[in-house]
Amino acid sequence: MRDREARELMQLFHAGKISRRDLLARAAALGLSLGVLGGLGVRPAGAAGMTEVKIGVDLPMSGGEAPNGVPTNNGVILAIEEANKAGGMYHFSETLKDDAVNGVHDPAQGAKNVQELIADSAVVGIVGNFNSNVAKACIPITNSAGIVQISPSQTNPDLTKPPAALDLRKANPSKINYFRVCTTDDLQGPVAADYAFRTLKARKLAILDDQETYGKGIADQVEKEFKKLGGQVLSHDGIPKGTQDFHAILTKIKSEGPDAIFFGGVTTTGGGLIRKQMPDVGLKIAYVGGDGIVEDEFLKVAGDSAEGSFGTVAAIDATKVPAAQAFLTAYKARFNDQPGAYSANGYVAAKIILDAVKAAGPDREKVRAWVARLKNYKSMLGTFSFDQNGDTTNRIISVYTVKGGKWTWTDQVNFNG
Amino acid sequence: MNGVLFAQQLINGLSLGAIYAVIALGYTMVYGIVELINFAHGDVYTAGSFVALALLTVLGATGHSAAAAVVFALIVVLLATMFIMGTSGVVIERFAYRPLRGRPRLAPLLTAIGVSFSIENLLQLWYGPSPVPFPQLVPNPFFAVGPLSVGQMQLIVILSSLVMMAALHFFVQRTKLGKAMRATAQDWMAAEIMGIDINKTIALTFFIGSLLAGAAGVITGLYYGNVWFINGFRAGLIAFTAAVLGGIGNTTGAALGGFVIGFVEVMTAQYVGFQWAEVTIFSVLILVLVFRPTGILGQQLSERA
Repeated sequence: MRDREARELMQLFHAGKISRRDLLARAAALGLSLGVLGGLGVRPAGAAGMTEVKIGVDLPMSGGEAPNGVPTNNGVILAIEEANKAGGMYHFSETLKDDAVNGVHDPAQGAKNVQELIADSAVVGIVGNFNSNVAKACIPITNSAGIVQISPSQTNPDLTKPPAALDLRKANPSKINYFRVCTTDDLQGPVAADYAFRTLKARKLAILDDQETYGKGIADQVEKEFKKLGGQVLSHDGIPKGTQDFHAILTKIKSEGPDAIFFGGVTTTGGGLIRKQMPDVGLKIAYVGGDGIVEDEFLKVAGDSAEGSFGTVAAIDATKVPAAQAFLTAYKARFNDQPGAYSANGYVAAKIILDAVKAAGPDREKVRAWVARLKNYKSMLGTFSFDQNGDTTNRIISVYTVKGGKWTWTDQVNFNG
Repeated sequence: MNGVLFAQQLINGLSLGAIYAVIALGYTMVYGIVELINFAHGDVYTAGSFVALALLTVLGATGHSAAAAVVFALIVVLLATMFIMGTSGVVIERFAYRPLRGRPRLAPLLTAIGVSFSIENLLQLWYGPSPVPFPQLVPNPFFAVGPLSVGQMQLIVILSSLVMMAALHFFVQRTKLGKAMRATAQDWMAAEIMGIDINKTIALTFFIGSLLAGAAGVITGLYYGNVWFINGFRAGLIAFTAAVLGGIGNTTGAALGGFVIGFVEVMTAQYVGFQWAEVTIFSVLILVLVFRPTGILGQQLSERA
């Protein structure tokens, strides 16, 4: 009982909902000793030689996208708690910001959040954001502040690769500050196209995207690669924001006679409802998407129609890596749930910043420089470096299929070496 | 041009437009009588879906129940939802709009936006921030009509909307209460002098408009199989556009506007590109307003001056 209360308190504290003072006051009220909390990874501020260090986190935590942000943030929490348990000179905590407005990730809110994080001098680095269009608004801000930002999940190539990315890091072009532990859509897109062409034997493809940075980006990559393979792209349409009824566009697609549909976007921008309404117009063809639909939300929205859908994820599946087994056990024990597609990435992103602080000290520029020089970093997802643009050299794409109402790992494509 | 495909899209447009039309009726009736753009109306529609979902859960109706039980549950839920949403419309009018009657028009307009956000957030608190699956109680087989196919749900959507529109038309044109509504819309002061209780008449207008929105919420819940607290925003915006296109204040115009927009949306998807749907919808609106500033069936409002 006491354990549960202590854990709930710690969750509130790590989510930034209560201050350290409140935490200690409430703990005292519950009769919890500081030792109990200490065991969970918190020590009173000012304990001998401890320096308080904050990790900023910006993710979509509410609305239809909470299923993305919450498990990813859980990965971050786990990394911070482990670092605290290991002891050392620093005490780490997270300051969490939610960039979803009315249930949808919002670039302006993301920009406001990172500005607030930067204004807090105790924040040495930022984990986030989740969606590529949010990063477009945030990178110029974090770049000009010279603070490190590591994303667990943003896959749009233009965020790091010149020439487009040069516009984002105009303030300090020589000081790369934005990194990501996932790989990019210029790999993810081709894998999806390859998979449709080679494994599903599709020759004619219809493409839909949600007209956002991520969705349109990956859909364009798929179109390019599918044509290169010799396939035919019959149509490529965008979806007006908030659309509920896809019968008209699906009727049109059916009349074109494709072998498969590719959807670029996330579940809530249409990914789920399109799949659900396909049988309504008699479309019985393969449905392929990017990492935006590989989530439980998709299964809920698409219902029985979800069965047999394909999706790619720009990361290795943690359950397939022996080194990640400890993480999976710890995650289940701590959150009583299965990790999300990007939980392990959230953990690794946070751990890089934590390791940087331990190695270089709690100074923004020192942390940034340490991360920029990262070479052969041993993480549970494999050993990797960051290249000159801030992209990971760990380039693995996983392919998932909905089987028996669950996203099931089917294949992985390795671009390493 | 492929005639069969065009006809197939006409059917899609008819079912899409029917939903817009029913929601647009609520906008146009309220505007007609109190000259208020009730921005909360789209959210009343979405709230209808959630109320129906809650009632269905209470009744324990699932796709596996016996057909007769499902039909019975659906009728009960539809009627109860219409009554609950109608009542909520009256409550909203009583507490959010009536105290501001006679004030500058900006005040109730902003209040309406506030009510809209309040409903959205209440729904979010109630059923959570994610889309919620709606039980699929009505099977959706397809009927072949020559080379065309019509889904059972599409038929239900179109027919039930037509029934509601016809019932509303009869009520407004042929009953005493309807006459009182028309009189209040024309000149509420004169109507009051003639002995019409305008508070009751305005409340009745909100009741009927919200009741129709609630019914539309039940039907789209069954049709799309999902409800999300944010859905009312786009549906409301498009339905409001339909009401303006048809001539705001005119119920026949609102219905016509709904169907026109439904057709514009599906034909854009078929022949132009789906991403241009909103561009074409609003282009049509602008074009119509340039040549007919009062909308397709709107009348000059000078009599109200």
